[in-house]
Amino acid sequence: MTAVTDQDHTEHADHAGDTVPKHDDRENGRKGESASEKGLQEENGDDSPWEGAREHHARVESSDSGRTDSWQTGKSRHTGESRHTGEARDTGKSTAPGDSQASADPADPADSWDDGLIARRVTEGAAAEHAALVESRAHSAQSAAPLTYDSTLRSRLVALRELVGLSRTRLDSRTLAEAGRVLDEAAARHRLSGQHTVVAIAGATGSGKSQLFNALAGVPISETGLRRPTTAAPVACSWSDGGAGLIERLGIPPRLRRRPLQNGDNDTQLCGLVLVDLPDHDSAAVQHRQHVDRILTLVDAVIWVVDPEKYADAVLHERYLRPMAGHAEVMFVVLNQVDRLPGEAADQVLDDLRRLLDEDGIALGEYGEPGATVLALSALTGDGVGELREALGQFVAERRAPARRISADVDAAAVGLRPVYAIRRRTGLSEEARDEFAARLADAVGATAAGEAAERAWLRNANRACGTPWLRLWRWYQDRFEPQTGRLPVRAQPDEKATARQRVEQAVRTLADRASSGLPAPWALAVREAAVRGSQGLPEALDELAARAGLPPGRPPRPGWWPAAVLVQASMTLLQIVGGLWLLGQIIGFMAPNLGVPVLLMVTGIVGGPLVEWSCRMAARGPARRYGADAERRLREAAAGCGRARVLDPVAAELLRYREVREQYGRVAGVGATAR
Amino acid sequence: MVTLDVRPQLLDALSALRDRVAAARFPLPLAGAPRARANRDELLAQLDDYLVPRLREPDAPLLAVVGGSTGAGKSTLVNSLVGRRVSEAGVLRPTTRTPVLVCHPEDHHWFSGMRVLPDLTRVWVPHQETAEDLLLPGEDPTRVLRVETADTVPRGLALLDAPDIDSLVADNRVLAAELICAADIWVMVTTAARYADAVPWHLLRTAKEYDATLVTVLDRVPHQVVSEVSRQYGALLTKAGLGDVPRFTVPELPESAWGGGLLPATAVAPLRTWLVHVTQDPAARQHALARTAYGVLNSLKARMPELAGAAAAQYAAAMRLTSAVEAAYDSEHTRVRGRLQSGAVLAGDALKRWRAFPLDCSAGELLDALVESLAALLLCAVTAADERVDDAWRREPAARAPELADPDPSLESAEHRIGMAVRRWRRELEEYAEDEVRALDRSVAPDPEAVAALVATALLGGRRARSAGEGLAERIGAHGALRLRDRGGRLLTEHLDRVMHTERERRLAPLDALDVHPEPQAELIAALSVLQKER
Repeated sequence: MTAVTDQDHTEHADHAGDTVPKHDDRENGRKGESASEKGLQEENGDDSPWEGAREHHARVESSDSGRTDSWQTGKSRHTGESRHTGEARDTGKSTAPGDSQASADPADPADSWDDGLIARRVTEGAAAEHAALVESRAHSAQSAAPLTYDSTLRSRLVALRELVGLSRTRLDSRTLAEAGRVLDEAAARHRLSGQHTVVAIAGATGSGKSQLFNALAGVPISETGLRRPTTAAPVACSWSDGGAGLIERLGIPPRLRRRPLQNGDNDTQLCGLVLVDLPDHDSAAVQHRQHVDRILTLVDAVIWVVDPEKYADAVLHERYLRPMAGHAEVMFVVLNQVDRLPGEAADQVLDDLRRLLDEDGIALGEYGEPGATVLALSALTGDGVGELREALGQFVAERRAPARRISADVDAAAVGLRPVYAIRRRTGLSEEARDEFAARLADAVGATAAGEAAERAWLRNANRACGTPWLRLWRWYQDRFEPQTGRLPVRAQPDEKATARQRVEQAVRTLADRASSGLPAPWALAVREAAVRGSQGLPEALDELAARAGLPPGRPPRPGWWPAAVLVQASMTLLQIVGGLWLLGQIIGFMAPNLGVPVLLMVTGIVGGPLVEWSCRMAARGPARRYGADAERRLREAAAGCGRARVLDPVAAELLRYREVREQYGRVAGVGATAR
Repeated sequence: MVTLDVRPQLLDALSALRDRVAAARFPLPLAGAPRARANRDELLAQLDDYLVPRLREPDAPLLAVVGGSTGAGKSTLVNSLVGRRVSEAGVLRPTTRTPVLVCHPEDHHWFSGMRVLPDLTRVWVPHQETAEDLLLPGEDPTRVLRVETADTVPRGLALLDAPDIDSLVADNRVLAAELICAADIWVMVTTAARYADAVPWHLLRTAKEYDATLVTVLDRVPHQVVSEVSRQYGALLTKAGLGDVPRFTVPELPESAWGGGLLPATAVAPLRTWLVHVTQDPAARQHALARTAYGVLNSLKARMPELAGAAAAQYAAAMRLTSAVEAAYDSEHTRVRGRLQSGAVLAGDALKRWRAFPLDCSAGELLDALVESLAALLLCAVTAADERVDDAWRREPAARAPELADPDPSLESAEHRIGMAVRRWRRELEEYAEDEVRALDRSVAPDPEAVAALVATALLGGRRARSAGEGLAERIGAHGALRLRDRGGRLLTEHLDRVMHTERERRLAPLDALDVHPEPQAELIAALSVLQKER
């Protein structure tokens, strides 16, 4: 089992002592799965592919096989057919640029292959003559245990399903199509036999695919010939029973299913192998390529057959090997027709082939490392076929190819989805951005100016209250000649648009920019939309809020020393008046002449009044500042609160959703799986 | 019988057409752009490498280019035709990375100069040495042509061993296509294992489209199946409308198979005879020449309009992008003007200042707040316009050009520029106010800054700031107030227009730098019609 499963063994130490490893593995798998699925089960229920399959498994064990299997085949036939049409359409659309000419050309040579000159169809009679047993329907009734995936792959599939579900509203279906296809294929393969491994033989025309197929089967099943292209439709050959569902899934009709030569050694070595001979992928017959493309997405492993003449063809490397580089572990590359090469040229060519594969990014399975197996052989002379048979036998006996293939598919889907999930740098709303947003909103409602105005007004009132009456008198006199501007009663009416719209707009835009910077495009758009949606009605709300959160009505609060100061000031004025009256009384001779006391009184009053006023002004600064700061804070907080509720929270929620999806993506890509 | 008669007018028309083609650019990444670029390059290569030199000098040796898939045995075929190893052959693919031209020693001067294939550096290698050793450092190994001479090649014929048409090395593919386009005679090599491959058939169809003088060689046919494979291949050719193409079959022989040896002369004798005949029989030579040359000339009729169409599509896309920018900025301009009139600037901070103005707020502070608010309004308009442009461009494939995607007009710099413009407006407004106050002959002159603040408020505050106008009139008289407001208003409009215009131009600058014009389309068609007339 894989390394990850081994890790599971150590994690679930209580199961380590189990004697049946397979059972143990399944137990572990269930445990891991239920742990990872716990939150999902209510909503996802039966949708989970292995959920249904486990029941299915149970049913198979309870020997209710006939019914189950027929259901299975019916179902998979359906999938196969729908897949077929889908693929055909796809391939038609996405032909390589060089081929567009071919598909655009009305006189498509593909049609010209339908003449009698190039035999496209394998004649039924000829095939039957080759003494190959056509697989009977009775075999397919036999049951086979369905495939099980290990817990890592299961959790990745769960994550992928969840990922697709979470992002369906954000991404268009085209982006998610590949992931959906992988999920469907994983589910479909899961239902089918785990005892079998489906291996396709693919290659260019004339590379000897059919020859190799026949060499492996031991009987001439697939027609070989000189006419190019020879094989027009895929032919399947199953080494053991129970693989009917798998072949059905490939859409291969029963008349093209074969059995290998019954031969004890052959049978045991390759037991569980389902070999599929594909048409070529590079001939002018377009439908051949469509067959190949469709079946390559469904099989568990591929044997690429190349020959010394064609091993460096661009179409093979660019169209197939490079995109499938992630599938190296389920890939064999065999260099056929080495008998045509003299001496050590075969080794040279094989080395060159290895180099090309390496350039394609395909890991080579050398020195025990996982990767593609590269062999040289000659299907004609049988040279090296034994080695391939051995490698294939070992590969099939391991029974891990289907899971590896699905795993590689998930990898490929994850890589394909990378641009819409992965980010270049850390995202999210920094504290700084939030503060800046609040500051901008405060600017929009004019909190600073309001605070300053309140402070100054308070100070002015304090000065007026504690100032000498003479000064007040003078000011009043002067005010009468000053033109009235700012403080006209007209403006006292509540303004309908007191908030600066443009500042709110700019604040929201800046915030959205900050929040969405670095996000993949669809998510950035969602964040922006959330911000814009939240900002609708925000200026009006701020208007209302500014009116409400402004200064409390009535007189501003006054410090305790205020009455005392007013009293002292009043008494100073009184002293001046008393002193003055006293002096006046002396001058008019009403009172006894005593210059000292009244002058002292008056001087005290005259000096004390401004002194009191000055000290009051000093003392009033603190409360004035507090009062202004209070006014500013009220507005600021109200604006920030409003902005948070309407814009910041939706944006943060959107970012959170992205983070969730991103986490799921990490799990799919396999990063999260190992980290957990 | 077609003959090749060339008038100087035709050559002039052709070189004019060549210049037009060379001038055509397709910078916007539209759906058809890569194809148009490839077509343009191909056409240019064909004009430079083949058509113009051929029409200028009809007596130059015929160039037969041997092309085909990798491993088809092109080099072996050339070596066998020449009779010695001039081009290396081998089992590893792709074998031929440097094209090799073989001609008679007396014809050498035709090819050593830059008459044909002017893009390729000539390399002269005496014998059997790899060309790579002689390259100067930094020279592209694929852009090299090795010229070999051999007495065995008939005079008036040159053979060119091209790289694979389906090579894994993309440069090789391009080069192969270019070389084949330069040929008088196209020699297409395929093999028994390959004759049904899609790639060689594309080439054959292209040859048919250009009506080039074409020969096909079916190589590497195991001798026991020669007749059957040959018959099938012939049937396929007939089916494709190429039944009359001379067809030669070369068997696979053990001594030649993979070792890069030479095939016996008998194996290639029919092909050699045919080539010699075409070269030395004047009628046959004239026919072969004229057929390919007129084929290319005729193909212009279809290819030039295609290029012109692509150029037109480029221009249309550029127009769409431009109009998106203009529409966005125009609508934002209208919006910002409406906002100014409704007094949106006098809000928030500025409004609070204005309310506190004479008592709790100085004129300078009021002006500061107003200017800041105005800058915010303009910045908001510009960023909103940019956002609309981005939105519109996101739907345009043409906007994905790397030159346009680069977010050059950064917000900071826009903020900076707008701040400068607004401050300049304030300064000028203050000067106006000072002028107005100075002109006033009153005993107590009002504070010019307060006057400036009042004017600014009256201009920016809309209906809300009616009292500012009244205050202004009280200070400097109704007449003066009206004049000051008029001047200030004109100044404001001027600055606003300038800011929006500058920002729009900045946004359009990268697009303008791409230089997409409507002229190439008309020029291409005109060049073609001139050429048609001269034929």
